Amino acid sequence: MTEAKPTLDKTPDADTGTATVTDAVPDDAFLRTRGVSKSFHGRHVLKEADFRIGSGEIAVLIGKSGSGKSTLLRVIAGLEEPDAGDIDLAGQAVVRDGEYQEAWKELQGQIGMIFQSYTLWPHMNVLDNLTIAPRLALGETEAQLLDRAERALTEVGMAHHLRSRCTQLSGGERQRVAIARALMMRPRLLLCDEITSALDPPVAAEVLGVLTKLKEEEGIACGIVTHDMAFASKAADRICFFEDGLIKEDVPPEHAFNDPQTPGLQAFIDAVRF
Amino acid sequence: MNSVNLAYEFDLSVIGPALPTLLDGLWLTLKVATITIVASAVLGFPLAVARMSKIEVIRWPAQLYIEVFRCTPLLIQLLWVFYALPALLGVDLPGELSIIIALTAHLTAFMSETYRAGMQSVPVEQIEAARMLRLNRVQILRHIIVPQAFRQQIPTILSLNVSMFKDTSLISALGQADLTFQGNILASQTYRPMEIFTLVALIYFSIAFPATLFTSYIERRLITSGSRGAPPPASGLRGTLARMRPGQRPVELSRPALKSLLKPEGV
Repeated sequence: MTEAKPTLDKTPDADTGTATVTDAVPDDAFLRTRGVSKSFHGRHVLKEADFRIGSGEIAVLIGKSGSGKSTLLRVIAGLEEPDAGDIDLAGQAVVRDGEYQEAWKELQGQIGMIFQSYTLWPHMNVLDNLTIAPRLALGETEAQLLDRAERALTEVGMAHHLRSRCTQLSGGERQRVAIARALMMRPRLLLCDEITSALDPPVAAEVLGVLTKLKEEEGIACGIVTHDMAFASKAADRICFFEDGLIKEDVPPEHAFNDPQTPGLQAFIDAVRF
Repeated sequence: MNSVNLAYEFDLSVIGPALPTLLDGLWLTLKVATITIVASAVLGFPLAVARMSKIEVIRWPAQLYIEVFRCTPLLIQLLWVFYALPALLGVDLPGELSIIIALTAHLTAFMSETYRAGMQSVPVEQIEAARMLRLNRVQILRHIIVPQAFRQQIPTILSLNVSMFKDTSLISALGQADLTFQGNILASQTYRPMEIFTLVALIYFSIAFPATLFTSYIERRLITSGSRGAPPPASGLRGTLARMRPGQRPVELSRPALKSLLKPEGV
């Protein structure tokens, strides 16, 4: 299920250089941030980010390293506290003026995150990696979880690895298991931070194919930081270009790749053109 | 310069009569070492957690304790607890209890640092992944960090324990009738220090060497299983020698994990 794509005013704001959302944008985004900022040791890594992802939508975040893409994902995930700004999740206010609200406790479980490095716990096998969190955090039983784990692994094409040791898996297999592990918590929003950076292109394509399937079949919203422009052009519903902590463009992929409006995106596309 | 006396004649007849006395001493050595090792293994964990605390009034005393016991000689610690602590507290501590307190206090400092190194070697992303899966801090510590940290540090822990077993010989300086003390007495009585101290050394070796072999075996198993994320050891003589050194292992390159664990979760 894919909701109507938002239309964006592609003309960067004269003051901030940020692409602004037009009135035509529907306000039913699963995730919406407004003016989210984050600094580390006095350095403004993220500056008043306005960002949204609808259910069943893939937003791909691109830009140079240090431009604020991963920081935005980490702020949305709750791994970094925002200095300022608002975040809405599933229509409810979870952050206001940089402060977490009561709804955050209830809704943070709807966010899953996959990391660049393989974050499977190596002292457990695949099944234990998948079931420990729902067992401990949600109180589900082993019997319930075995069936769900099998289904989650089937979703990512890893059903035959239920009892495998994580150390026996390849990089691509580990990332697919990591996606299955996130699915066990039934997320509605999946954040992926350069999850294919360490993978060969064919393996990366397999992993990203899993995300596209999840978006289409489960209606999961995905925010993906990647440097894989082939994937971005094919699977993204929106491309968000980051530069110096600002979202400079937030446009459909055809616009991003064929008609970039900012010199920064033009230069970035030229540099990574596939 | 005196030459080595190659004509020394070993009198092996002193060994038989000496054995019962030496085994009596070994019993005390093993008892003290075992109690010390078990107590330190338990006490080292809360000390390691305190050492990593973000709360300064908890972290600083823990750090001070560790540094005091790491930076002073074990013999001085034994003497201080044996002679000074009873005077300070105004109580009469039995000698055996005093030495167990001193040795435990010493080993606990080292064990806590070993635990801390193990816990901090768990990659921060693993902790963040656990947070994203809604595990709370205690669950992360119990199920993610401690099992990996313990596996990582088993060779170091075993090595520390073997060292402690040998270091118990220092208690002979306080008149405790351990293996070294009994050997010293027997050497004086028989005038055969060569035979007696060689026998004492062999007894220590017969216990410590299998332990170091076991340590090396565990280390090889951990590396082979890949659970420590370390490259396989070098082959040939260099690798063999490296594997034979208890507690030696490849450098861990992970980022500190507890920084993330101890960080506020946003609410």
